[in-house]
Amino acid sequence: MSVEIICKGLAKTYTGGVEAVRPLDLTLVAGQTTALVGPSGCGKSTLLRMIAGLEDASSGTLTIGGAPAADTLARAGLAVAFQDPSLLPWRTVRQNIELALDLARKPRKAADIDQLIHLVGLDGFADTRPGALSGGMRQRAAIARALSTNPDLLLLDEPFGAVDELTRAQLAADLPGIWEARGTTTLLVTHSVTEAVTLSDRIIVLSPRPAAIVADIKVDLSRPRPSNLKALPAFQTHVDATFAALSHGVADTLPKAAQ
Amino acid sequence: MTHARQWIGPILALVLWEGFAHLFASAFVLAAPSAILLYLYENAGLLTRALGVTLANAAAGFLIGNAAAILLAGLAIALPRSENIVRALALVVFCLPLVATGPVLRILFGPGAGPQITLAALAVYYTTLIPLLVGLRAVPSDWLDLVRSYGRGRMTALLRVRAMASFPYLVAGLQIAAPAAFLGAMVGEFTGAERGMGVLTIRAMRDLNIEMTWALATVATAVAVLAYLAIGYAARRVLTEEPPVILAAPAAKRRNLFSSIAMVTFSTAAILALWWVGLDALNLSSFFAKRPDDLVDALFLAPDATQTRAALAAALSETLIFLFPGYLAGLLAGATLAMAIILAPSLANTAMPLAIALRSVPIITTAPLVVLLLGRGAVGTVTLIAIMVFFPTFIACLHGLRQAPGRATDVMRSYAASDMAILRHVRVPAMLPAFFAAARINVPASILAVTVVEWLATGNGLGALMALSASLSDYDMLWSAVVLTTLLAVLGYGLVGALERRVLQTYAPEQLA
Amino acid sequence: MKSSSGLSRRSLLATGAGAFGAASLGLSPRLLHAQTAVNFQLSWLHSTQFAGSYIAQDRGFWAERGLSVALQPGGPNAPVEPPVVSGTALMGISAADYTAAAVSEGAPFKIIGVAMQNNPFAIASLSANPVNQPSDMEGMRIGMALANTPVLQALCTINDVDFDAIEIVPTQYSPQPLVAGEVDCLLCWATDLPVAMTVQGVENETMLMADHGYAVHSQTYIVTEDSLANRRADIVALMAGEVAGWAAYREDTAAATDLTLAMFPDAGLDRETQLLQAERQVPLMFSDLTDANGFGWWTDETVAANIETLGLLGREVTADLWDRSILEEVHG
Repeated sequence: MSVEIICKGLAKTYTGGVEAVRPLDLTLVAGQTTALVGPSGCGKSTLLRMIAGLEDASSGTLTIGGAPAADTLARAGLAVAFQDPSLLPWRTVRQNIELALDLARKPRKAADIDQLIHLVGLDGFADTRPGALSGGMRQRAAIARALSTNPDLLLLDEPFGAVDELTRAQLAADLPGIWEARGTTTLLVTHSVTEAVTLSDRIIVLSPRPAAIVADIKVDLSRPRPSNLKALPAFQTHVDATFAALSHGVADTLPKAAQ
Repeated sequence: MTHARQWIGPILALVLWEGFAHLFASAFVLAAPSAILLYLYENAGLLTRALGVTLANAAAGFLIGNAAAILLAGLAIALPRSENIVRALALVVFCLPLVATGPVLRILFGPGAGPQITLAALAVYYTTLIPLLVGLRAVPSDWLDLVRSYGRGRMTALLRVRAMASFPYLVAGLQIAAPAAFLGAMVGEFTGAERGMGVLTIRAMRDLNIEMTWALATVATAVAVLAYLAIGYAARRVLTEEPPVILAAPAAKRRNLFSSIAMVTFSTAAILALWWVGLDALNLSSFFAKRPDDLVDALFLAPDATQTRAALAAALSETLIFLFPGYLAGLLAGATLAMAIILAPSLANTAMPLAIALRSVPIITTAPLVVLLLGRGAVGTVTLIAIMVFFPTFIACLHGLRQAPGRATDVMRSYAASDMAILRHVRVPAMLPAFFAAARINVPASILAVTVVEWLATGNGLGALMALSASLSDYDMLWSAVVLTTLLAVLGYGLVGALERRVLQTYAPEQLA
Repeated sequence: MKSSSGLSRRSLLATGAGAFGAASLGLSPRLLHAQTAVNFQLSWLHSTQFAGSYIAQDRGFWAERGLSVALQPGGPNAPVEPPVVSGTALMGISAADYTAAAVSEGAPFKIIGVAMQNNPFAIASLSANPVNQPSDMEGMRIGMALANTPVLQALCTINDVDFDAIEIVPTQYSPQPLVAGEVDCLLCWATDLPVAMTVQGVENETMLMADHGYAVHSQTYIVTEDSLANRRADIVALMAGEVAGWAAYREDTAAATDLTLAMFPDAGLDRETQLLQAERQVPLMFSDLTDANGFGWWTDETVAANIETLGLLGREVTADLWDRSILEEVHG
């Protein structure tokens, strides 16, 4: 099932007056993958956490699939993968995935779990505890867990940070197929512009904190992405456009005298 | 508004207390808050002087004990081979029962404040040494590599890196040590002193002076709580991070059987040698200062050896009957309250101050009161042991629960997991290392509690046996009881440690590395 | 110690009870030289239980005999025997049963004086449900330190009371269990817990065990055989001061109480309690026997009675435990 996410005037100001996200309007199209790109500490993770319901917005409304956000959470149609893999260290990879299925009140199907583990390249590690895995392997396990529940809404916060370059490319090629086939609405927070262009249908560029939208770039590349994607001129165009928006956003916030 | 609400609970409790006290005045159990205040007002001079004496001794013991702990920790780091033996000796000395060490110290020191100061020092050094040893090791290896990359040696590493890194751990130890020093100084006064809080406590009990008993308990608790809070406050001003809460190192990595046996044998031999040589060096009369061979004789060779062993066994079983339930109840209560606070954070307002007070109030003033309130049967004794165990467990568990790994709770929440499910799947398993560390360090504390209650209130078990054999000059029995009590504490400590290793292998393998 | 006794004199003068102080003020200057320092180990916290010793201290009864005495308080965790054995204290206050126990463990003690002719152990009960004679205890719950079980057994044997018909409830250091009705009677000192109850307004009865055949000398002065042989003069001086102090005590227990309170203002003593205790211990310490022979005295008959009762307590002793030579010198 595809869901649409509508943020209206969504903002976050922490107690103490630190403004993390300026009032912001954003609609994530159902079934699409949207990338959030912005400089470090700009508030993109805060935005993701608000959408995930992990943090309350200071103002504004959030509608997921036509209903207030809280209802979506209750239906457990959501999955998150963080940069910190946050696996439970006393459970094996399989047990971590099973717990997610239990919590989402979905049946455990051994074959499905095995397939996911295979997909993220963890064959033979299903019954290993996270302590014995490398950082990248843990992140892949966390992604497998996020995908296991067949979420309507998938939120990925720098999920490939610790994954090595080669595996990253492999995941980037394989994963979008899964969530697209299921019509999952996906939000990807990343600081890698090439990753954003590779994985998403649309790139939202945020300004430095407090976050405001400086650009909304449609990624007009075919699906599935061709294997020579990075060699295509169109790819480079998108990367350049994103960089331009990013540096514009930065310039905007520089003191006037320096301009 | 919220400020006012905070006070509703305590005020209601005070009103109820006052009411009950008047209702049951004829039972001589409860003094009303108003009566306590009146007593404090009318006897301010007496209490101030007594407090001054006890505080001075406690402070001296606090300084000496902590200095000794710092030296021992430095020794253990400078000579890594000595660490095991330092730990073993420190544990054994910490487990020696107060009831028995007091009189021996009085003989060693003669008149004066020697025993008070020594008992205060003995009460604090272990709870400083153990976190300090953890702290001195809690240094990322990168930092040590950095020092080495500049061509500097271990001394520089100790002073520049380890000492700084261990500071928060030292503070945590000092915080626990402050109330303990006060208790040690009070117990020291029981060995014959002219003035002090301990002297007044005994006087109040004998005179059936309920106002005085409660007033003393109030002052002692207030002082201990203030010392605890003051060190915490000072620490927060100096430290950039919160002092750690888990004071015990995780159980040592499992050694192979041979080296374990070798370690135990070596430590035992060292302790026996120290005992023997120490008594000879101090030139103590064999009438009261029994050597290991005297005990072998009394327990196995003497004509009445069978009776001696039977008396010890009977006392041990009486002690264990109360010790186990009290210890487990304390652990359970500590963990449960910590979980309750996680589920309903507003509970913390009322529960935290109460928990700190319970921890800080010297057991020799609480023991009579709890026994007065709950009777001298099982309930009173078990409750006192539980109180002793409760607070450190509570604080450690709360810390463990809040330390849930990484963003695991966020992931759980994103699946709309209930607080209960998060508690069960994430927080409780994450709490286990802290829980076991508390359980282990609480073994000696619970044995201290049970022997003190037996001695001062119920007259059963090992505590009473030790007091009785001292008064009847049966020093063979007294030393045997000391050895038995100490063994009980060390064994219990070891057993909990073994259990801890098993659990941590599953739940926190990284702690065992 | 000198400074603290000086302090007590000053505080005494300040409180108007200077009669004691005046005598000693005249004495002290010429006695400053040739003072032998001696520790005297008491058996409990400072209280009127030892008021005779305080008078000896305050009036210079020891100083004039060349002794500078430090009175060491006892406490719940301060056995008397070890400091005496080790020589830290020249003399200690014990009781015949405890001394007998120590001797059987190899301590070379002699009893050289008996402050309490009559044992202070008593059965305390509430007036509403009194114990007036040993047989009244049958069917009752008695609160006591388990350590004293042999004492109760001995009392039962002497008086043909069925020991098994009494239920023992272990209690320590407090009269509260009796007041709260947890027990029907207490085994305690007549001068201790019953006094506390009386002062608190709880009507109570005491049945002195000494009146029912329990003959054990209490508050006995003990020294080692070695000191008896080698420090005889000091011991004689110490006992002489004690005898003089307790004689003054007997004359005016109120003054003795005031002195106790003045000397130990930090001991938390309640005057009413201390005075009642002081009065109640007079008949325990002074008798026709002491009137005839002097404070601390005993005869072969009282020793024989002691040996018999001690036998019931499981302590086999002979008359050798008592050595009257010091008292004979003091009173001679």
